[in-house]
Amino acid sequence: MEGLLYVLILLLALLGTPIFVVMSLFGLTAFYFAETPGAALIIEMYRIASAPTLLTIPLFTFAGYLMAESGSPRRLLRFAEAALGWLPGGVAIVSLVICAFFTAFTGASGVTIIALGGLLYPILVKEGYSEKFTLGLITTSGSLGLLFPPSLPIILYGLVAKTDIDKLFKAGLVPGFLLIAILSAWAIKNGGAAALQRKPFKFEELIASFKGAFWEILLPIGVLYGIYGGITTASEASAFTALYVLIIECFVYRDLSFRKDIPKIIVESMTLVGAILLILCCALGMTSYLVDEEIPMQILEVMKQYITNKYVFLAFLNIFLLIVGSLMDIFSAIIVVVPLIIPIATEFQIDPIHLAIIFLTNLEIGYITPPVGINLFISSFRFNRPVTELYKASLPFLALLLVALILITYVPSLSLFWFN
Amino acid sequence: MIAKIDSFLEKVIGHALVINVLSMLLLSVLGIVLRWFQISFPWIDPLVRHLVFLSAFLGGALASGKGRHIAIDIISKYLESVNNHKTLKMIKALTIFVSVFTCFWLIDASIEFAKSEFEYGKANFFGIHSGYLVSIIPFGFGLIVIRFIFGLLMIGNSSPEVEEA
Repeated sequence: MEGLLYVLILLLALLGTPIFVVMSLFGLTAFYFAETPGAALIIEMYRIASAPTLLTIPLFTFAGYLMAESGSPRRLLRFAEAALGWLPGGVAIVSLVICAFFTAFTGASGVTIIALGGLLYPILVKEGYSEKFTLGLITTSGSLGLLFPPSLPIILYGLVAKTDIDKLFKAGLVPGFLLIAILSAWAIKNGGAAALQRKPFKFEELIASFKGAFWEILLPIGVLYGIYGGITTASEASAFTALYVLIIECFVYRDLSFRKDIPKIIVESMTLVGAILLILCCALGMTSYLVDEEIPMQILEVMKQYITNKYVFLAFLNIFLLIVGSLMDIFSAIIVVVPLIIPIATEFQIDPIHLAIIFLTNLEIGYITPPVGINLFISSFRFNRPVTELYKASLPFLALLLVALILITYVPSLSLFWFN
Repeated sequence: MIAKIDSFLEKVIGHALVINVLSMLLLSVLGIVLRWFQISFPWIDPLVRHLVFLSAFLGGALASGKGRHIAIDIISKYLESVNNHKTLKMIKALTIFVSVFTCFWLIDASIEFAKSEFEYGKANFFGIHSGYLVSIIPFGFGLIVIRFIFGLLMIGNSSPEVEEA
Protein backbone atom coordinates (compact mmCIF):
# COMPACT_ATOMS: atom_id res chain seq x y z
CA MET A 1 0.00 0.00 0.00
CA GLU A 2 2.73 2.44 1.06
CA GLY A 3 4.85 1.59 -2.00
CA LEU A 4 1.85 2.03 -4.29
CA LEU A 5 1.25 5.50 -2.89
CA TYR A 6 4.85 6.51 -3.60
CA VAL A 7 4.48 5.30 -7.19
CA LEU A 8 1.30 7.37 -7.45
CA ILE A 9 3.12 10.44 -6.11
CA LEU A 10 5.87 9.89 -8.69
CA LEU A 11 3.23 9.72 -11.42
CA LEU A 12 1.71 12.96 -10.15
CA ALA A 13 5.16 14.56 -10.35
CA LEU A 14 5.50 13.44 -13.98
CA LEU A 15 2.07 14.88 -14.75
CA GLY A 16 3.31 18.33 -13.72
CA THR A 17 2.24 18.64 -10.07
CA PRO A 18 4.34 21.41 -8.48
CA ILE A 19 7.55 19.94 -7.05
CA PHE A 20 6.93 21.47 -3.61
CA VAL A 21 3.56 19.69 -3.46
CA VAL A 22 5.13 16.40 -4.54
CA MET A 23 7.80 16.67 -1.85
CA SER A 24 5.35 17.65 0.87
CA LEU A 25 3.00 14.84 -0.09
CA PHE A 26 5.88 12.37 -0.04
CA GLY A 27 7.08 13.64 3.34
CA LEU A 28 3.61 13.69 4.91
CA THR A 29 2.82 10.21 3.60
CA ALA A 30 6.14 8.83 4.86
CA PHE A 31 5.64 10.39 8.29
CA TYR A 32 2.06 9.08 8.37
CA PHE A 33 3.19 5.50 7.78
CA ALA A 34 6.00 5.93 10.29
CA GLU A 35 3.29 7.02 12.77
CA THR A 36 5.06 10.36 13.23
CA PRO A 37 2.90 13.50 13.43
CA GLY A 38 2.91 15.68 10.30
CA ALA A 39 4.13 18.53 12.49
CA ALA A 40 7.59 16.87 12.32
CA LEU A 41 7.74 17.88 8.64
CA ILE A 42 6.79 21.46 9.51
CA ILE A 43 9.52 21.62 12.18
CA GLU A 44 12.07 20.73 9.49
CA MET A 45 10.51 23.34 7.21
CA TYR A 46 10.88 26.06 9.83
CA ARG A 47 14.60 25.31 10.15
CA ILE A 48 15.17 27.28 6.97
CA ALA A 49 14.25 30.46 8.86
CA SER A 50 17.45 30.11 10.86
CA ALA A 51 19.81 29.66 7.87
CA PRO A 52 22.18 32.65 7.92
CA THR A 53 22.67 32.71 4.13
CA LEU A 54 18.94 32.64 3.38
CA LEU A 55 18.93 36.36 2.61
CA THR A 56 21.25 35.94 -0.38
CA ILE A 57 18.59 34.13 -2.41
CA PRO A 58 15.99 36.92 -2.65
CA LEU A 59 18.47 39.79 -2.76
CA PHE A 60 20.84 38.50 -5.46
CA THR A 61 17.83 37.41 -7.54
CA PHE A 62 16.23 40.84 -7.12
CA ALA A 63 19.51 42.53 -8.19
CA GLY A 64 19.75 40.26 -11.25
CA TYR A 65 16.19 41.03 -12.31
CA LEU A 66 16.80 44.78 -11.84
CA MET A 67 19.79 44.62 -14.16
CA ALA A 68 17.99 42.51 -16.74
CA GLU A 69 15.07 44.99 -16.86
CA SER A 70 17.29 48.07 -17.11
CA GLY A 71 19.55 49.27 -19.91
CA SER A 72 22.41 47.38 -18.30
CA PRO A 73 22.61 44.55 -20.92
CA ARG A 74 22.94 47.15 -23.70
CA ARG A 75 25.64 49.18 -21.89
CA LEU A 76 27.67 46.14 -20.84
CA LEU A 77 27.44 44.68 -24.33
CA ARG A 78 28.80 47.90 -25.82
CA PHE A 79 31.71 47.85 -23.39
CA ALA A 80 32.47 44.16 -23.94
CA GLU A 81 32.36 44.71 -27.70
CA ALA A 82 34.79 47.62 -27.45
CA ALA A 83 37.12 45.64 -25.20
CA LEU A 84 37.04 42.23 -26.92
CA GLY A 85 35.43 42.80 -30.33
CA TRP A 86 38.83 43.18 -32.05
CA LEU A 87 39.79 39.58 -31.27
CA PRO A 88 39.15 36.91 -33.91
CA GLY A 89 35.64 35.64 -33.14
CA GLY A 90 35.37 38.73 -30.98
CA VAL A 91 31.61 39.23 -31.10
CA ALA A 92 30.98 35.58 -30.25
CA ILE A 93 33.41 35.82 -27.32
CA VAL A 94 31.70 39.02 -26.20
CA SER A 95 28.38 37.17 -26.25
CA LEU A 96 29.79 34.34 -24.14
CA VAL A 97 31.34 36.69 -21.57
CA ILE A 98 28.33 38.96 -21.25
CA CYS A 99 25.92 36.02 -20.93
CA ALA A 100 28.14 34.45 -18.27
CA PHE A 101 28.13 37.74 -16.35
CA PHE A 102 24.35 37.98 -16.50
CA THR A 103 23.74 34.37 -15.62
CA ALA A 104 25.93 34.71 -12.54
CA PHE A 105 23.62 37.47 -11.33
CA THR A 106 20.28 36.10 -12.51
CA GLY A 107 20.90 32.52 -11.41
CA ALA A 108 20.34 30.81 -14.76
CA SER A 109 16.62 31.22 -14.48
CA GLY A 110 16.15 31.76 -18.20
CA VAL A 111 16.41 35.52 -17.80
CA THR A 112 19.72 35.65 -19.70
CA ILE A 113 18.28 34.27 -22.93
CA ILE A 114 15.18 36.42 -22.62
CA ALA A 115 17.08 39.64 -21.74
CA LEU A 116 20.15 39.23 -23.94
CA GLY A 117 19.03 36.88 -26.71
CA GLY A 118 17.13 39.59 -28.53
CA LEU A 119 20.15 41.91 -28.38
CA LEU A 120 22.80 39.37 -29.33
CA TYR A 121 21.01 37.47 -32.09
CA PRO A 122 20.84 40.32 -34.64
CA ILE A 123 24.41 41.41 -33.85
CA LEU A 124 25.84 37.92 -34.40
CA VAL A 125 23.83 37.31 -37.58
CA LYS A 126 24.82 40.76 -38.91
CA GLU A 127 28.46 39.90 -38.28
CA GLY A 128 28.01 36.91 -40.58
CA TYR A 129 27.67 34.04 -38.10
CA SER A 130 25.31 31.37 -39.38
CA GLU A 131 21.86 31.20 -37.87
CA LYS A 132 22.52 27.70 -36.56
CA PHE A 133 25.76 28.76 -34.87
CA THR A 134 24.09 31.85 -33.38
CA LEU A 135 21.15 29.92 -31.97
CA GLY A 136 23.47 27.27 -30.52
CA LEU A 137 25.73 29.88 -28.96
CA ILE A 138 22.95 31.87 -27.31
CA THR A 139 21.14 28.75 -26.08
CA THR A 140 24.37 27.46 -24.51
CA SER A 141 25.30 30.83 -23.05
CA GLY A 142 22.02 30.98 -21.14
CA SER A 143 23.52 28.93 -18.33
CA LEU A 144 27.21 29.63 -18.83
CA GLY A 145 27.97 31.79 -15.80
CA LEU A 146 26.47 29.38 -13.35
CA LEU A 147 29.81 28.60 -11.73
CA PHE A 148 30.61 32.27 -11.07
CA PRO A 149 29.71 34.20 -7.92
CA PRO A 150 27.10 35.18 -6.88
CA SER A 151 25.18 32.50 -8.78
CA LEU A 152 22.01 31.35 -7.07
CA PRO A 153 22.57 27.61 -7.71
CA ILE A 154 25.94 27.82 -5.88
CA ILE A 155 24.29 29.49 -2.90
CA LEU A 156 21.50 26.93 -2.88
CA TYR A 157 24.01 24.09 -3.12
CA GLY A 158 25.94 25.53 -0.17
CA LEU A 159 22.75 25.79 1.87
CA VAL A 160 21.58 22.26 1.10
CA ALA A 161 24.99 20.59 1.40
CA LYS A 162 26.06 22.74 4.37
CA THR A 163 29.23 23.62 2.47
CA ASP A 164 31.04 26.96 2.80
CA ILE A 165 29.53 29.20 0.10
CA ASP A 166 32.58 31.49 -0.08
CA LYS A 167 34.77 28.45 -0.83
CA LEU A 168 32.32 27.28 -3.50
CA PHE A 169 32.44 30.71 -5.13
CA LYS A 170 36.23 30.46 -5.29
CA ALA A 171 36.24 26.87 -6.53
CA GLY A 172 33.91 27.66 -9.43
CA LEU A 173 36.09 30.39 -10.93
CA VAL A 174 38.64 28.35 -12.92
CA PRO A 175 36.16 25.72 -14.17
CA GLY A 176 33.83 28.60 -15.15
CA PHE A 177 36.58 30.30 -17.16
CA LEU A 178 37.54 26.93 -18.68
CA LEU A 179 34.03 26.54 -20.09
CA ILE A 180 34.17 30.05 -21.59
CA ALA A 181 37.67 29.45 -23.00
CA ILE A 182 36.68 26.19 -24.71
CA LEU A 183 33.56 27.72 -26.23
CA SER A 184 35.52 30.82 -27.30
CA ALA A 185 38.09 28.65 -29.06
CA TRP A 186 35.26 26.88 -30.84
CA ALA A 187 33.73 30.22 -31.84
CA ILE A 188 37.06 31.32 -33.35
CA LYS A 189 37.61 28.02 -35.15
CA ASN A 190 34.12 27.32 -36.38
CA GLY A 191 32.40 30.68 -36.60
CA GLY A 192 33.20 30.63 -40.34
CA ALA A 193 34.30 33.73 -42.19
CA ALA A 194 32.62 35.95 -39.60
CA ALA A 195 35.00 34.80 -36.90
CA LEU A 196 38.02 35.65 -39.05
CA GLN A 197 36.92 39.23 -39.67
CA ARG A 198 38.72 41.39 -37.23
CA LYS A 199 37.32 44.70 -36.18
CA PRO A 200 39.74 47.54 -35.57
CA PHE A 201 40.32 48.31 -31.92
CA LYS A 202 39.09 51.82 -31.08
CA PHE A 203 40.46 53.25 -27.88
CA GLU A 204 37.96 56.17 -27.85
CA GLU A 205 35.03 53.73 -28.07
CA LEU A 206 36.52 51.66 -25.23
CA ILE A 207 36.74 54.73 -23.01
CA ALA A 208 33.28 55.99 -24.00
CA SER A 209 31.66 52.59 -23.39
CA PHE A 210 33.61 52.20 -20.14
CA LYS A 211 32.28 55.54 -18.93
CA GLY A 212 28.79 54.54 -20.02
CA ALA A 213 28.82 51.28 -18.05
CA PHE A 214 31.19 52.42 -15.27
CA TRP A 215 28.83 51.83 -12.32
CA GLU A 216 27.85 48.39 -13.58
CA ILE A 217 31.45 47.36 -14.30
CA LEU A 218 32.27 48.14 -10.67
CA LEU A 219 29.68 45.63 -9.49
CA PRO A 220 31.37 42.26 -10.14
CA ILE A 221 34.68 43.75 -8.98
CA GLY A 222 33.03 44.89 -5.75
CA VAL A 223 31.28 41.55 -5.15
CA LEU A 224 34.44 39.52 -5.81
CA TYR A 225 36.67 41.82 -3.79
CA GLY A 226 34.14 41.97 -0.95
CA ILE A 227 33.73 38.19 -0.67
CA TYR A 228 37.27 37.06 -1.49
CA GLY A 229 38.91 39.91 0.37
CA GLY A 230 37.08 38.77 3.49
CA ILE A 231 35.43 42.19 3.79
CA THR A 232 31.84 40.97 3.52
CA THR A 233 30.04 37.67 3.88
CA ALA A 234 27.88 36.41 1.02
CA SER A 235 24.76 37.73 2.82
CA GLU A 236 26.24 41.18 3.29
CA ALA A 237 27.40 41.22 -0.33
CA SER A 238 23.84 40.40 -1.45
CA ALA A 239 22.40 43.29 0.58
CA PHE A 240 24.92 45.78 -0.80
CA THR A 241 24.55 44.48 -4.34
CA ALA A 242 20.77 44.81 -4.30
CA LEU A 243 20.87 48.32 -2.82
CA TYR A 244 23.67 49.41 -5.15
CA VAL A 245 21.90 48.13 -8.29
CA LEU A 246 18.64 49.69 -7.13
CA ILE A 247 20.31 53.08 -6.68
CA ILE A 248 22.29 53.09 -9.94
CA GLU A 249 19.44 51.86 -12.13
CA CYS A 250 16.83 54.18 -10.58
CA PHE A 251 18.80 57.30 -9.72
CA VAL A 252 22.08 57.29 -11.69
CA TYR A 253 21.09 55.83 -15.07
CA ARG A 254 17.39 56.49 -14.46
CA ASP A 255 16.44 53.45 -16.58
CA LEU A 256 13.89 52.33 -14.04
CA SER A 257 11.23 54.29 -12.20
CA PHE A 258 11.26 53.58 -8.47
CA ARG A 259 7.49 53.84 -8.23
CA LYS A 260 6.44 52.21 -11.49
CA ASP A 261 9.08 49.59 -12.29
CA ILE A 262 10.48 48.49 -8.94
CA PRO A 263 7.23 46.99 -7.55
CA LYS A 264 6.77 45.04 -10.78
CA ILE A 265 10.34 43.73 -10.66
CA ILE A 266 10.01 42.79 -6.98
CA VAL A 267 6.83 40.83 -7.70
CA GLU A 268 8.37 39.13 -10.73
CA SER A 269 11.62 38.15 -8.98
CA MET A 270 9.91 37.09 -5.75
CA THR A 271 7.55 34.78 -7.67
CA LEU A 272 10.63 32.80 -8.69
CA VAL A 273 12.22 33.11 -5.24
CA GLY A 274 8.97 31.95 -3.58
CA ALA A 275 8.78 28.94 -5.88
CA ILE A 276 12.40 27.99 -5.08
CA LEU A 277 12.22 28.59 -1.33
CA LEU A 278 8.99 26.62 -1.03
CA ILE A 279 10.68 23.63 -2.64
CA LEU A 280 13.62 24.10 -0.30
CA CYS A 281 11.34 24.23 2.77
CA CYS A 282 9.27 21.23 1.73
CA ALA A 283 12.30 19.19 0.69
CA LEU A 284 13.86 19.56 4.14
CA GLY A 285 11.15 17.35 5.60
CA MET A 286 11.43 14.80 2.85
CA THR A 287 15.21 14.59 2.94
CA SER A 288 15.30 14.31 6.72
CA TYR A 289 13.06 11.26 6.34
CA LEU A 290 15.32 9.78 3.65
CA VAL A 291 18.41 10.36 5.77
CA ASP A 292 16.71 8.92 8.90
CA GLU A 293 15.82 5.83 6.92
CA GLU A 294 19.44 5.65 5.71
CA ILE A 295 18.32 5.55 2.07
CA PRO A 296 21.66 6.98 0.76
CA MET A 297 23.52 4.21 2.60
CA GLN A 298 21.23 1.60 1.08
CA ILE A 299 21.89 3.02 -2.39
CA LEU A 300 25.60 2.96 -1.59
CA GLU A 301 25.46 -0.72 -0.63
CA VAL A 302 23.85 -1.56 -3.96
CA MET A 303 26.33 0.61 -5.87
CA LYS A 304 29.34 -0.95 -4.17
CA GLN A 305 28.50 -4.24 -5.87
CA TYR A 306 29.08 -2.68 -9.29
CA ILE A 307 31.32 0.30 -8.67
CA THR A 308 34.66 -0.44 -7.15
CA ASN A 309 36.64 2.77 -7.39
CA LYS A 310 36.36 6.53 -7.28
CA TYR A 311 36.87 7.06 -11.03
CA VAL A 312 34.13 4.68 -12.10
CA PHE A 313 31.89 6.33 -9.52
CA LEU A 314 32.64 9.76 -10.99
CA ALA A 315 31.78 8.53 -14.49
CA PHE A 316 28.55 7.06 -13.19
CA LEU A 317 27.80 10.28 -11.29
CA ASN A 318 28.25 12.37 -14.43
CA ILE A 319 25.90 10.23 -16.49
CA PHE A 320 23.32 10.23 -13.70
CA LEU A 321 23.54 14.00 -13.18
CA LEU A 322 23.33 14.76 -16.89
CA ILE A 323 20.07 12.83 -17.01
CA VAL A 324 18.82 14.61 -13.87
CA GLY A 325 19.87 17.99 -15.29
CA SER A 326 17.99 17.45 -18.50
CA LEU A 327 14.81 16.29 -16.75
CA MET A 328 14.62 18.50 -13.66
CA ASP A 329 15.23 22.17 -13.15
CA ILE A 330 18.45 22.99 -11.37
CA PHE A 331 16.89 24.15 -8.12
CA SER A 332 14.83 21.02 -7.48
CA ALA A 333 17.74 18.86 -8.63
CA ILE A 334 20.05 20.44 -6.07
CA ILE A 335 17.51 20.19 -3.26
CA VAL A 336 16.50 16.58 -3.97
CA VAL A 337 19.68 14.95 -5.22
CA VAL A 338 22.44 16.61 -3.17
CA PRO A 339 21.49 15.07 0.21
CA LEU A 340 21.41 11.63 -1.42
CA ILE A 341 24.71 12.02 -3.27
CA ILE A 342 26.88 13.55 -0.53
CA PRO A 343 27.17 10.51 1.80
CA ILE A 344 27.90 8.25 -1.18
CA ALA A 345 30.54 10.61 -2.60
CA THR A 346 32.13 10.90 0.86
CA GLU A 347 32.48 7.11 0.94
CA PHE A 348 34.35 7.31 -2.37
CA GLN A 349 36.57 10.06 -0.86
CA ILE A 350 35.50 12.84 -3.17
CA ASP A 351 36.17 16.31 -1.84
CA PRO A 352 32.83 18.04 -1.06
CA ILE A 353 33.90 21.25 -2.85
CA HIS A 354 34.99 19.30 -5.93
CA LEU A 355 31.73 17.36 -5.81
CA ALA A 356 29.81 20.66 -5.80
CA ILE A 357 31.60 21.91 -8.91
CA ILE A 358 31.08 18.58 -10.74
CA PHE A 359 27.43 18.64 -9.71
CA LEU A 360 26.83 22.21 -10.88
CA THR A 361 28.74 21.74 -14.15
CA ASN A 362 26.57 18.73 -14.94
CA LEU A 363 23.41 20.67 -14.28
CA GLU A 364 24.72 23.58 -16.34
CA ILE A 365 25.15 21.16 -19.25
CA GLY A 366 21.75 19.64 -18.46
CA TYR A 367 20.20 22.97 -19.48
CA ILE A 368 21.04 22.24 -23.14
CA THR A 369 20.75 18.46 -23.06
CA PRO A 370 17.90 17.11 -25.22
CA PRO A 371 15.12 16.24 -24.95
CA VAL A 372 14.01 18.60 -22.20
CA GLY A 373 16.92 20.88 -21.29
CA ILE A 374 15.15 24.08 -20.31
CA ASN A 375 17.35 26.46 -22.36
CA LEU A 376 16.28 24.66 -25.51
CA PHE A 377 12.66 25.49 -24.75
CA ILE A 378 13.38 29.06 -23.70
CA SER A 379 15.27 29.68 -26.95
CA SER A 380 12.55 27.95 -28.91
CA PHE A 381 10.04 30.34 -27.32
CA ARG A 382 12.28 33.43 -27.59
CA PHE A 383 13.32 32.93 -31.23
CA ASN A 384 10.13 31.22 -32.34
CA ARG A 385 11.91 28.14 -33.72
CA PRO A 386 10.98 24.47 -33.40
CA VAL A 387 12.82 22.90 -30.50
CA THR A 388 14.30 20.23 -32.81
CA GLU A 389 16.19 22.99 -34.66
CA LEU A 390 17.71 24.02 -31.33
CA TYR A 391 18.69 20.42 -30.56
CA LYS A 392 20.79 20.41 -33.75
CA ALA A 393 22.20 23.90 -33.17
CA SER A 394 23.31 23.15 -29.61
CA LEU A 395 24.81 19.72 -30.26
CA PRO A 396 28.42 20.85 -31.02
CA PHE A 397 28.36 23.11 -27.95
CA LEU A 398 27.04 20.24 -25.86
CA ALA A 399 29.91 18.01 -27.02
CA LEU A 400 32.46 20.69 -26.08
CA LEU A 401 30.94 21.19 -22.66
CA LEU A 402 31.14 17.44 -22.09
CA VAL A 403 34.88 17.58 -22.80
CA ALA A 404 35.16 20.39 -20.23
CA LEU A 405 33.12 18.30 -17.79
CA ILE A 406 35.57 15.40 -18.11
CA LEU A 407 38.45 17.78 -17.37
CA ILE A 408 36.66 19.29 -14.37
CA THR A 409 35.78 15.83 -13.06
CA TYR A 410 39.15 14.15 -13.42
CA VAL A 411 41.40 17.12 -12.68
CA PRO A 412 40.22 18.11 -9.18
CA SER A 413 42.97 20.71 -8.84
CA LEU A 414 41.07 22.92 -11.32
CA SER A 415 38.55 23.47 -8.52
CA LEU A 416 40.69 22.82 -5.49
CA PHE A 417 44.09 24.43 -6.11
CA TRP A 418 43.03 27.45 -4.01
CA PHE A 419 42.76 25.29 -0.93
CA ASN A 420 45.89 23.13 -1.17
CA MET B 1 -16.35 37.41 -9.95
CA ILE B 2 -13.77 34.79 -8.88
CA ALA B 3 -11.26 36.30 -11.29
CA LYS B 4 -11.84 39.73 -9.72
CA ILE B 5 -11.34 38.47 -6.16
CA ASP B 6 -8.26 36.54 -7.27
CA SER B 7 -6.80 39.58 -8.97
CA PHE B 8 -7.50 41.70 -5.84
CA LEU B 9 -5.76 39.09 -3.68
CA GLU B 10 -2.82 39.04 -6.08
CA LYS B 11 -2.50 42.82 -5.77
CA VAL B 12 -2.58 42.68 -1.96
CA ILE B 13 0.09 39.96 -1.94
CA GLY B 14 2.15 41.96 -4.44
CA HIS B 15 2.02 45.08 -2.22
CA ALA B 16 2.94 43.01 0.84
CA LEU B 17 5.93 41.58 -1.07
CA VAL B 18 7.14 45.03 -2.10
CA ILE B 19 7.04 46.24 1.52
CA ASN B 20 8.66 43.00 2.66
CA VAL B 21 11.54 43.06 0.20
CA LEU B 22 12.33 46.74 0.66
CA SER B 23 12.24 46.26 4.45
CA MET B 24 14.59 43.26 4.36
CA LEU B 25 16.92 45.17 2.06
CA LEU B 26 17.06 48.31 4.17
CA LEU B 27 17.24 46.46 7.48
CA SER B 28 20.05 44.19 6.35
CA VAL B 29 22.10 47.13 5.03
CA LEU B 30 21.39 49.07 8.23
CA GLY B 31 22.55 46.09 10.31
CA ILE B 32 25.85 45.88 8.42
CA VAL B 33 26.52 49.63 8.56
CA LEU B 34 25.76 49.76 12.28
CA ARG B 35 28.17 46.89 12.89
CA TRP B 36 30.95 49.00 11.36
CA PHE B 37 30.35 51.46 14.21
CA GLN B 38 30.30 48.65 16.80
CA ILE B 39 26.54 49.09 17.25
CA SER B 40 24.46 45.98 17.01
CA PHE B 41 20.76 45.34 17.21
CA PRO B 42 20.30 41.62 17.79
CA TRP B 43 16.73 41.73 16.47
CA ILE B 44 17.71 42.70 12.92
CA ASP B 45 19.03 39.31 11.74
CA PRO B 46 16.13 37.13 12.95
CA LEU B 47 13.62 39.72 11.74
CA VAL B 48 15.20 39.79 8.27
CA ARG B 49 15.29 35.99 8.11
CA HIS B 50 11.61 35.82 9.01
CA LEU B 51 10.83 38.43 6.36
CA VAL B 52 12.57 36.17 3.83
CA PHE B 53 10.61 33.21 5.19
CA LEU B 54 7.36 35.14 4.76
CA SER B 55 8.42 36.18 1.24
CA ALA B 56 8.77 32.50 0.34
CA PHE B 57 5.07 31.98 1.04
CA LEU B 58 3.93 35.26 -0.51
CA GLY B 59 5.98 34.55 -3.65
CA GLY B 60 4.69 30.98 -3.59
CA ALA B 61 1.11 32.27 -3.44
CA LEU B 62 1.79 34.41 -6.53
CA ALA B 63 3.36 31.45 -8.33
CA SER B 64 0.30 29.33 -7.45
CA GLY B 65 -2.09 31.82 -9.05
CA LYS B 66 0.05 32.29 -12.15
CA GLY B 67 0.72 28.56 -12.59
CA ARG B 68 4.44 29.30 -12.30
CA HIS B 69 5.48 26.73 -9.74
CA ILE B 70 8.50 24.69 -10.70
CA ALA B 71 7.26 21.35 -12.04
CA ILE B 72 8.33 18.59 -14.39
CA ASP B 73 6.40 19.66 -17.46
CA ILE B 74 7.40 17.07 -20.07
CA ILE B 75 3.86 15.77 -20.51
CA SER B 76 2.20 19.20 -20.61
CA LYS B 77 4.77 20.41 -23.17
CA TYR B 78 4.07 17.35 -25.31
CA LEU B 79 0.29 17.83 -25.06
CA GLU B 80 0.68 21.50 -25.97
CA SER B 81 2.77 20.61 -29.00
CA VAL B 82 0.08 18.22 -30.30
CA ASN B 83 -2.72 20.68 -29.43
CA ASN B 84 -4.45 18.26 -27.07
CA HIS B 85 -5.93 21.00 -24.90
CA LYS B 86 -8.74 18.88 -23.44
CA THR B 87 -6.37 16.36 -21.83
CA LEU B 88 -4.06 19.17 -20.79
CA LYS B 89 -6.94 20.87 -18.98
CA MET B 90 -7.88 17.64 -17.21
CA ILE B 91 -4.32 17.05 -16.07
CA LYS B 92 -4.06 20.66 -14.87
CA ALA B 93 -7.27 20.25 -12.85
CA LEU B 94 -5.93 17.01 -11.34
CA THR B 95 -2.60 18.55 -10.36
CA ILE B 96 -4.31 21.58 -8.78
CA PHE B 97 -6.69 19.29 -6.91
CA VAL B 98 -3.75 17.31 -5.51
CA SER B 99 -2.07 20.60 -4.60
CA VAL B 100 -5.18 21.76 -2.70
CA PHE B 101 -5.39 18.46 -0.83
CA THR B 102 -1.70 18.58 0.11
CA CYS B 103 -1.89 22.22 1.21
CA PHE B 104 -4.81 21.42 3.54
CA TRP B 105 -2.74 18.57 5.01
CA LEU B 106 0.19 20.97 5.44
CA ILE B 107 -2.07 23.58 7.08
CA ASP B 108 -3.35 20.96 9.51
CA ALA B 109 0.19 19.85 10.38
CA SER B 110 1.44 23.42 10.73
CA ILE B 111 -1.44 24.40 13.01
CA GLU B 112 -0.45 21.49 15.25
CA PHE B 113 3.12 22.78 15.27
CA ALA B 114 1.99 26.36 15.99
CA LYS B 115 -0.20 25.12 18.87
CA SER B 116 2.70 23.30 20.48
CA GLU B 117 4.95 26.30 19.91
CA PHE B 118 2.40 28.55 21.69
CA GLU B 119 2.43 26.09 24.57
CA TYR B 120 6.16 25.38 24.88
CA GLY B 121 7.84 28.15 22.85
CA LYS B 122 9.37 31.35 24.11
CA ALA B 123 9.45 35.06 23.36
CA ASN B 124 11.77 35.96 20.46
CA PHE B 125 12.98 39.28 19.07
CA PHE B 126 10.85 42.30 20.11
CA GLY B 127 9.25 39.93 22.60
CA ILE B 128 7.25 38.29 19.78
CA HIS B 129 6.27 34.80 20.90
CA SER B 130 7.68 32.02 18.69
CA GLY B 131 4.11 30.73 18.27
CA TYR B 132 3.30 33.82 16.20
CA LEU B 133 6.45 33.40 14.12
CA VAL B 134 5.69 29.80 13.18
CA SER B 135 2.13 30.86 12.38
CA ILE B 136 3.64 32.28 9.17
CA ILE B 137 3.49 28.67 7.90
CA PRO B 138 -0.26 27.95 8.20
CA PHE B 139 -0.97 31.53 7.09
CA GLY B 140 1.30 31.09 4.03
CA PHE B 141 -0.16 27.73 3.04
CA GLY B 142 -3.60 29.25 3.58
CA LEU B 143 -2.87 31.93 0.98
CA ILE B 144 -1.43 29.34 -1.40
CA VAL B 145 -4.44 27.05 -1.09
CA ILE B 146 -6.86 29.93 -1.73
CA ARG B 147 -5.02 30.75 -4.95
CA PHE B 148 -5.02 27.10 -5.99
CA ILE B 149 -8.76 26.85 -5.32
CA PHE B 150 -9.43 29.99 -7.38
CA GLY B 151 -7.28 28.51 -10.13
CA LEU B 152 -9.28 25.28 -10.03
CA LEU B 153 -12.59 27.16 -10.19
CA MET B 154 -11.35 29.27 -13.07
CA ILE B 155 -10.37 26.18 -15.07
CA GLY B 156 -13.99 25.07 -14.76
CA ASN B 157 -15.29 28.50 -15.79
CA SER B 158 -13.01 29.13 -18.76
CA SER B 159 -14.39 28.16 -22.13
CA PRO B 160 -12.40 25.84 -24.40
CA GLU B 161 -12.11 28.67 -26.95
CA VAL B 162 -10.38 30.86 -24.41
CA GLU B 163 -8.08 28.00 -23.46
CA GLU B 164 -7.28 27.32 -27.12
CA ALA B 165 -6.52 30.99 -27.68
